Amino acid sequence: MGEVNCDGRSTREINAEIKQQIKHGATDILVRNPGARHNLGVAVLEPVAIRLEGSVGYYCAGLIDGPSFDIAGSAGWGLAESMMSGRVVVRRNAGNGAAAAIRGGTVVIHQDAAARLGVSMKGGMVLVAGNCGYMAGFMGQKGTIIVCGDAGEAFADSMYETVCFVGGRISELGTDAVVEQPSAEDAEFLDSTLAQHLPSEVRKSKPAGRSFKKVVSGRKLWNFDKQEWKTWQEAL
Amino acid sequence: MCGIVGFLDKTHNHEHSALGRILLDMLRALACRGPDSAGVALFGPSTNGRLVVKVKLGNDGESGSRAQRLSGLLKSFGVGGNEFSTIAAYARFVLDGGIDLTNLIDSIESSDKEIEVVSVGRNLEIVKQVGSPANLEKTYGISQFRGTHGLGHTRLSTESRVDLSHSQPFWSHGRPDLAIVHNGHITNYHKLRRLYQQHSVRFYTENDSEVVAIYLSDQLSKGRSLEESLHAMLRELDGSFSCLVATATEFGFVKDPFALKPLLWAETDGFVAVANEEIAIRSALPGGYQVREAEAKEVRVWER
Repeated sequence: MGEVNCDGRSTREINAEIKQQIKHGATDILVRNPGARHNLGVAVLEPVAIRLEGSVGYYCAGLIDGPSFDIAGSAGWGLAESMMSGRVVVRRNAGNGAAAAIRGGTVVIHQDAAARLGVSMKGGMVLVAGNCGYMAGFMGQKGTIIVCGDAGEAFADSMYETVCFVGGRISELGTDAVVEQPSAEDAEFLDSTLAQHLPSEVRKSKPAGRSFKKVVSGRKLWNFDKQEWKTWQEAL
Repeated sequence: MCGIVGFLDKTHNHEHSALGRILLDMLRALACRGPDSAGVALFGPSTNGRLVVKVKLGNDGESGSRAQRLSGLLKSFGVGGNEFSTIAAYARFVLDGGIDLTNLIDSIESSDKEIEVVSVGRNLEIVKQVGSPANLEKTYGISQFRGTHGLGHTRLSTESRVDLSHSQPFWSHGRPDLAIVHNGHITNYHKLRRLYQQHSVRFYTENDSEVVAIYLSDQLSKGRSLEESLHAMLRELDGSFSCLVATATEFGFVKDPFALKPLLWAETDGFVAVANEEIAIRSALPGGYQVREAEAKEVRVWER
């Protein structure tokens, strides 16, 4: 197993060391003392496992294709932004814009996510065991957002085909967001996804799949229609 | 961008608090967010209810003669020679609290156009200058400061000039012991500024953040609590703001309705720490505490 100690080193040195170790065949790398540094593990394109023993700053695991990240602490803005594939787990909270614009892969947040979770997603899945903040799912094109707790204001605003599930309360739906009853398949998918991605101590007390709300696009903003002028005026 | 930091010591062991050192470490981690200037608002022990006044003397080689003239002027306000000192760009003096503050500030500031009263308070002292946090430490030794709570700022100027007066933290100019730091952009600044100017409020800078201090001072003067004032700010100030505010007894933050600027906070039994990057908190305070991002429209106030 490879090991990288961040103490006294710049982000560039740390990332170069991670890539160097991958080049030399490491498949499992432990990153010690990340100290909430920014841009850690950006653009890793190999299917390696990277564990970070603490909090990370902005843009951790952005632009990745294939690796698996396990972050013991919290994450700052733009976690896993634009990832293609892989898996990113945060054991505590995530800042604004987690899983923004991802095209594939899975992001799992064990506690809360802040504002703009999964905005402009083009695929993949983000699962939040706690609550999410303002404007999650904005302009989501594809993919799945699952929030076990409560969702903040402007939830699922102006979406295309992203599908959202919320286990708790939604403080306010965004423009053109529509609540649907989840199907039996949806409930089964939720139960199996939570079982697969959340450890039992995080999973306990989470709602059962059938009690989630499903939120999808009402498709009223997909094509401009002057009959819908009022909706357009209020759209963000 | 701008870096903002805040720290509140909850241990009530202030003689041994490391307030200055902690704020400096936090600011150093955020030096890259604001290379233009750095500053701190420090809340220390009160000197028998007397007011501490910090005055900007300027950096143009005339500061010595300005200090001399200021010292002379202050004799008429009962400030003795041993209560007056200068350090780098500042004069500092203490005087009894019962004084007519408006008259004092007017007299001081009308004596020379370079002179500005940067802070007044029973506990508050502001130190700020153009340059890095490291230079702020070199010039003023802020790491040695003991106290209960404080704010810090590193500035990346976007619209107004880079000089000491346009640096943050901002004092509210008039209300003792009120200081703010702001990261963001107040988009209805000009409208608010015109409104306040119609009520004869003087603006010292063209920095939009100054209006936050003026606004909060106005709200507090109307009898609102700090928490109510911060909620009112959410309704009346537009744009992006992650803002920290401190008075002699309270410490709090507000984040704008669109959550456009970062603001993270951590609380333990011993402290509250706030910054717009977690790296600032982690590099100043070791430990297993949790850090979380404030929500859109979130307001939090702690009593010291």
